[in-house]
Amino acid sequence: MTTTPGTEYPFGPVTPSEGVAHIGRLVADRPMTKMTMPYGGDVWLVHRNAAARKILSDRRFVREPFRTGERVVPFFVPFPDFLRGTLQFEDPPQHTKLRKLVQKAISPKRVREMRDSAVAFANELIDGMIARGGVRDLVTEYSLALPIEMLSSLLGVPSSDREKFERWSSSTLAVAGKTEAEVAADMAELAGYMSDLIAKRRAEPRDDLLSSLAHARDRDETLTDAEILPIAFILIVGGFDNTATFLSTGVLSLLRSDDQRAVFLTDPDGLAPTTAEEVLRHGGFVIAPMVGGGGGLVPFVATEDVEIDGQLIAKGEAVSIDMVTAGHDPTAVADPGRFDITRTDNAHLTLSHGLHHCLGAPLARMELQVGLAELFKRIPDLKLAGEPVFDRTVLTQPMTSLPVTW
Amino acid sequence: MTKGNTAVPKVFYTQPDGTERVVEAEAGDSVMQAAVRNGVPGILAQCGGSLSCATCHVFLDERHADDFPPVSEDEDDMLDVAATDREDNSRLSCQLVLTEGQEVHVAIPETQL
Repeated sequence: MTTTPGTEYPFGPVTPSEGVAHIGRLVADRPMTKMTMPYGGDVWLVHRNAAARKILSDRRFVREPFRTGERVVPFFVPFPDFLRGTLQFEDPPQHTKLRKLVQKAISPKRVREMRDSAVAFANELIDGMIARGGVRDLVTEYSLALPIEMLSSLLGVPSSDREKFERWSSSTLAVAGKTEAEVAADMAELAGYMSDLIAKRRAEPRDDLLSSLAHARDRDETLTDAEILPIAFILIVGGFDNTATFLSTGVLSLLRSDDQRAVFLTDPDGLAPTTAEEVLRHGGFVIAPMVGGGGGLVPFVATEDVEIDGQLIAKGEAVSIDMVTAGHDPTAVADPGRFDITRTDNAHLTLSHGLHHCLGAPLARMELQVGLAELFKRIPDLKLAGEPVFDRTVLTQPMTSLPVTW
Repeated sequence: MTKGNTAVPKVFYTQPDGTERVVEAEAGDSVMQAAVRNGVPGILAQCGGSLSCATCHVFLDERHADDFPPVSEDEDDMLDVAATDREDNSRLSCQLVLTEGQEVHVAIPETQL
């Protein structure tokens, strides 16, 4: 396939403003690009926001062939087995049953009820940083600590076990720089621990997610331990690592953007919701010296020939939403290169959309809003005391350190 | 699209601050889809109509109470966990499918998250 010059894909690394211009030319040229991944072969990467939304709400795109192993997931690395067993690889009707049960426990209502405790815990963490003084590491002392606390309360992990939980959890994506054998051992230990906890909550239910999942079998739905365990895993993976990186990215974006920080400081609580969305959409471009495009969310497989926005996706072909280009598609997002924390119509797809949209979205958004607002209310003079560190050796490339002072 | 022959459905969305916006929809669209396509704020619809997010909550004007199928068990479950407390006329707008010529008035709640 010949490509119009200036619309190459994948592209980069280029400066963020060049990246935005490149995406503008790319989405004007075509809705999607076929790309060969290091593992699993070819996949269509979808760039246009409207085309992406169509695919995400079209049930002819499924994930079953990935779950059964009939097909290898087209991805940058071998897709971790423990993630292939989770909810995101199920299709209806099994997906509907599981999703409904979990979503009730991470519902908008439940998350609103958790908000006060998130505010209180964020302030405890800030108290600690202020008391210790000097240069603090925002990632370990704040961005990671907040979601871990929230996730532990949600799952119902006893506070006395949280340290263990944190060690095992961070091992699932090897952020701690462990060997494969160490990770496997941690995963097995975590699985054992969670199974035990599920058994306890079956016997003596409490007001937490594991209890409600364990007792779903007492109603018309039935959930086995084998079904609950992957749900717990996916919440752990998405629930602290990604959330922590979003929060660190949000803080760093505001520190790097004097004008938007000044705007944010005029009303942190009021501006937190739109700021959170803008960080999800564009934060990565604000904090990085260079950006690129080439990859997307977990793919689907077409069950029949489907034409989307003039492009035929043939039966059996894989398709993935490139949330970076979709979030910078000028037909969906006005002036996509501008970091604007007051943007109200923010059509990004970073948390996806449709059947498989981020399970923890209400929780992630709340933590991001609370995390940003409380920090800048308490320490309006927050500043960088060094460069952020990213771990490029793991799947999600988390920010592992962000030195700050005030 | 021959809209001239038959009246297209219309949806009147009232925001929490009282402002109203009228949107012309297509028969077969849901009240949620009409909002999302036309950029009506306050209806998030993260799950795209698969009854798993409770972020398209609306209050359906009492005069239309009998114009739509009753709340299903799944919709009922999700309404229970919406961010704004449900009321007797609460519906998920993805379940309100419009027919030709229908006019529907809904109010958007304070928050969906």
